[in-house]
Amino acid sequence: MKKTLQTIIHGPWAYWIGAIILGLLNILVLIVRRQPWGVTLNIEIWAEWVGTNLGILNDRGFTFKELMTFSGTYLNLGLLLGAFWATLVASQVRFRPIRDKKFFFSALIGGLFMGYGARIAYGCNVGALLNGIASSSLTGWIFAMAVFSGTWLGSKLLLKYLM
Amino acid sequence: MANFAIDIWGEMCPIPLIKAKKKLLSMQCGDILVLETEHSCTSRGIVVWAKANRYIIKEEEVANGIWHLELTKTHD
Amino acid sequence: MNNSSLHSQRNLNIGFILFLTLLITLLSQISIRLTLLMALGISFGFVLQKSRFCLVSALRDPILIGMTQLTRAFLLLLGISILGFALVFWGASQRNIPLSLNVFPLGVHTVVGGLLFGIGMVLAGGCSTGILVRIGEGFAMQFVAFFGLVIGSVLGERSLKNWRNVFGEWPGVFLPDILGWIPTLLLELSVLSVLWQLARWWQKKQLGEW
Repeated sequence: MKKTLQTIIHGPWAYWIGAIILGLLNILVLIVRRQPWGVTLNIEIWAEWVGTNLGILNDRGFTFKELMTFSGTYLNLGLLLGAFWATLVASQVRFRPIRDKKFFFSALIGGLFMGYGARIAYGCNVGALLNGIASSSLTGWIFAMAVFSGTWLGSKLLLKYLM
Repeated sequence: MANFAIDIWGEMCPIPLIKAKKKLLSMQCGDILVLETEHSCTSRGIVVWAKANRYIIKEEEVANGIWHLELTKTHD
Repeated sequence: MNNSSLHSQRNLNIGFILFLTLLITLLSQISIRLTLLMALGISFGFVLQKSRFCLVSALRDPILIGMTQLTRAFLLLLGISILGFALVFWGASQRNIPLSLNVFPLGVHTVVGGLLFGIGMVLAGGCSTGILVRIGEGFAMQFVAFFGLVIGSVLGERSLKNWRNVFGEWPGVFLPDILGWIPTLLLELSVLSVLWQLARWWQKKQLGEW
């Protein structure tokens, strides 16, 4: 009993348990939001707002008040807070700095590729892959194959430059 | 029964596991590989992999968010 | 092993719980719907971290280390989502409640986007969700990745027009419209089931058991 409580608090939970709970949460989001869970659309809109305010992007008319009414804002913010809280509950909070500059560059380039790829495909792993397939959309399956191929290419790059 | 250690500190997933696999090839049965990481996914990944390979694995959280692993090579 | 460097972060935890409670309470005054979504978001982050769930790992590890545990868990997640979405969509259409699914248009940019995303997530050590989780866990690397993600997403969004103009675009294909609901679900679940068996076989083969 005590060990179960330990595992619940510290983790790790079994992958299949995570899968089931995530699946149920995913369905709940669809019910509450009336559209599937997605991550990058909201990030892009916030980026537009920041860019406009910094004067480096032309205004697309997003206001702060408007952004605060978008469901995506709360899903993404919640995710961040939830992950932090999970780490905190297990007393595993610590700052984990980058320890080799090659990872700085791979993170930056990786992020750029991800952001660009996600928006031209209308979504990321969650929006276009998971929920594209979940929506019984053929595009989702095609995107999944493309991402898998990209993963294969990325793995080759990892072995060559990051080991 | 020798102890070996490799430095996987700060390495991105799954580089630590790839390095551990490589090191294990040069080790004898009964040797122990010691690893330390601050990444929850890396630690979990190594434990899952070790169990799938039927190696003996000990995982211990030695400081807040730092895991210490001891992997015993039980077979080739 | 010296355990003196393991101290409880309970006080910080209590403080954070109070903060979350305050946030949720304030938000509930504005909109119950947004409060629910915030709570769902927090749940996502919590479960993802606790189960060490990683979509990148699910797609990358079969290739790099021959492990398919997360791949199979992801297939399970897909199966549950397909069924759940179908049910909710059907239920909503019965009650005439408007609901939109992610049936996205298809073009060359879908494939290019997928390729770039796949490469990017391996290099960044996480997909968009993974980046948020790891920021929550305190990884500086994913702070940098997030910065890249933000810039990349703006560049991508603004270049979409060009991709459409050059290569064209087809409307999304909603499989139930073509095959009907039952055949679609059977087909999709069969494919997932085959992939699951394949994943299990692959790991056993890599481990030398097959």
